[in-house]
Amino acid sequence: MSSNPSPSNSSRFEGCTLTGALSVLTQVRDAVCVIHGPAGCTHHNFSLLHATILANDRVEVPRLLSTRLTENDIIFGGEEALEKTIARALAATPAPASVFVLSTCIVETIGDDTAAVCAKPWGIPVIAVPTAGFLGGVFETGIRNALSSVATLASPAAEVTLTANLIGEKNLEYGVDENAAELARLLSRLGIGINLRFVRGLATEDAARLGSAAVNILREPSLGPVGEDLLRRFSTPYIDSFPAGLAGTCRFLEEAGRICGVDASEAIEEERAYQAEMLSRFAEIAGSRVCFRPPHPVLNPDPVAEAVAAECAEALDLVVDPEGTVIPLPYPAPVGTAGLRRMLHRWRVLVRGKGRG
Amino acid sequence: MKQIALYGKGGIGKSTTAANLSAALAGEGLDILQIGCDPKHDSTRMLVHGTWIPTVLDLIRERGDANITVDDVVHTGFAGVRCVEAGGPEPGIGCAGRGIIATFQLLERLEALTGDVIVYDVLGDVVCGGFAMPMREGYAQEVYLVTSGELMSIYAANNIAKAISRLSRRVRSRCSLAGVICNAKNIEGERDLVEEFARRINSRLIAYIPRDRVVQVAELQKQTVVEYAPDSNQAAVYRDLARTIYANTTTSIPTPLEMDELESFALEFVQV
Repeated sequence: MSSNPSPSNSSRFEGCTLTGALSVLTQVRDAVCVIHGPAGCTHHNFSLLHATILANDRVEVPRLLSTRLTENDIIFGGEEALEKTIARALAATPAPASVFVLSTCIVETIGDDTAAVCAKPWGIPVIAVPTAGFLGGVFETGIRNALSSVATLASPAAEVTLTANLIGEKNLEYGVDENAAELARLLSRLGIGINLRFVRGLATEDAARLGSAAVNILREPSLGPVGEDLLRRFSTPYIDSFPAGLAGTCRFLEEAGRICGVDASEAIEEERAYQAEMLSRFAEIAGSRVCFRPPHPVLNPDPVAEAVAAECAEALDLVVDPEGTVIPLPYPAPVGTAGLRRMLHRWRVLVRGKGRG
Repeated sequence: MKQIALYGKGGIGKSTTAANLSAALAGEGLDILQIGCDPKHDSTRMLVHGTWIPTVLDLIRERGDANITVDDVVHTGFAGVRCVEAGGPEPGIGCAGRGIIATFQLLERLEALTGDVIVYDVLGDVVCGGFAMPMREGYAQEVYLVTSGELMSIYAANNIAKAISRLSRRVRSRCSLAGVICNAKNIEGERDLVEEFARRINSRLIAYIPRDRVVQVAELQKQTVVEYAPDSNQAAVYRDLARTIYANTTTSIPTPLEMDELESFALEFVQV
C-alpha cells in the first residue's frame, strides 16, 4: 500500500507538548495515563489519538483518565483531585502496571506539585511527565520528555546483547510498523536483533531491558537529547536517525556494524544488490521528466527528503525539469530501501498518469 | 451607588482605614457593604468585634457554589455595616487571584452587591489579574491609594497607579483614581511628601490621617475607633474622611512615575 501522506504531515515543530507525550505514553500497553487538568485536555487528545490511529487503519482506545479540574480545584489547588484520580487509575481493570501523570498548562500555572504527589508510595511506578505547553515546548518536546520518563523504568545494570533499540518511532505516522520492519530486516543482515521498540506496544516490565541493547537507533536527529540521555544512563551509543536513501541505508549498515563490532561489508554488498534489483523494477520510467515540489505549500522542503529524491532520480535516469510531472517530495523522508520502493511506486503512478493525460 | 476601593502596600493600614471609613459612613445613615479581598480575611474583623466570619471561598470549598445564600456570606457588623470576606486557598497552594474572580462572580449571582456605598479592601499589591478584579468590570469606580511617607509604601502606591492607568484605558472601564490617603507614620515632612507624590501622579491628597495610639487601643478591644472612641480626635478624622470621600466626584487617570523619577523624587524629599 502506498504511504498515506496526510497524518504524517502534521508539523512536529509546533503543537501541544501534551499531545506529543501522549503519542509515546499511550504505547506503553499496560499503563494508564492520567492527565492532570480540565477534562477538555483529555477529551481533545483522546479524540485526536483515536482518530489518527483509526485513519492509519488501526483501532486503539487510548487509556486516558482526567483529573477533570474545575474552577474550585484551580482556586484551592488540584493535588487532591490528582491523588483521587491516581487511585482511580490503580483500581482500573485490567490493573495497570504503571501510571504516567501528565501536567497541563493550568496546573503548572498555579504550581501544583505533580511530582510530589507521584512520589507517594503507590505500589507501582507512578511517573510524572512535565507536559505544560505554555512553557515553550512543542509536540517534539512532549515526545522527548515522555521517552526520558519511560526510561526511568529501566534497570541500570543490564547485560548487553547484540540487539538494537528503536527509539522514538513516530507512532502517529502511517508507516510506523513498516518502518520498524525495515529496520529489523536491515539489522538482521548484521545478526542484530531488536531489543525494544521504545516506545511502541511496550510492556512496563520490558522497559527494564532498555539498557541491554548494543545500540540505540533514534527515529530522527531531533531526538538527540534522548540519545544523549540514554548514553549517559546506560552507556549505549546511538545512531541519530533511521536510514534514508540508497547510499544512506548502506552507510547505516556500516555504522550499526561498527558500533556493534560486526563486519558489515558483506551485508552492505547484499543490500546494494537488493537495491539494484528493486530499482530495476522501475526501469520503465527512466528518462521521464519530473519536477519535485514540497508536499504542501506551507511546509518547507525537508533537506533529507530532497537529497533522497535527487539520488533516486539520478539512479533512475529521470530528468528534473520545471515542466516535468509534478512529484511531491516525501514527508518525512522514506525509511530504508523499502521506504524508497514505496516512494517509487507513487512516482510511477504519477508519471504514468501524466503520460495517459 | 458609590463603589470605592482601597489599595496600598501590605501593612499600611488599609483595613483599619477601610473599617473606620465604613463605620463612619454608616454613622451618616448610609447602607454600607465592605468586601475584604485578601486571603488573610481580616479586613472587616474590627467591624464584627473580632470574630472570623466565614469567607466566601471557605463556603464554596465546603458546600460548592450552588448552595450558598446571601445570608451565608454577608454578615452585619457595627452600625449595620454589611461585611464580606473573599478569603482564599490555604497559603502556598492553588490560585488566590482566581479566588477573587470567583468571589465576585458569586456575589454578582447572589445580587449581593448593593448599598449606598461598597468599600473594597484589596490585598497590598496587585500581584496578578485576579487582584485587579475590583478595578475591572465596573466594580470599583473610584480607587483610593493608601500610603505613608515611607518610600516602599510610595513605590507600592505607584505600582497600583500603573494598574489603574492600564485598566482605565480600556473601553468599558469605569475605574479611575479618586485620591491618595496619607496614613501617617509620623515621618518628618510626611504630609508634603505624599501630597507632592499625589500631584506628580496626577491626583491629590484627599486626607491626612495622623498616627494615634487610640487606633491600637481600639484594635485591642476588637473595635473600630469610630465605635470605641467616638469622641476622639481620630474618630473625627475618620468621619471627615467619610464625608470627603462620599462627596468626592473628582477622579483622574493617574500618570505613574518611572523608576528613575521615583528615585529622584525620593532624593528630593529624604534628608540623608
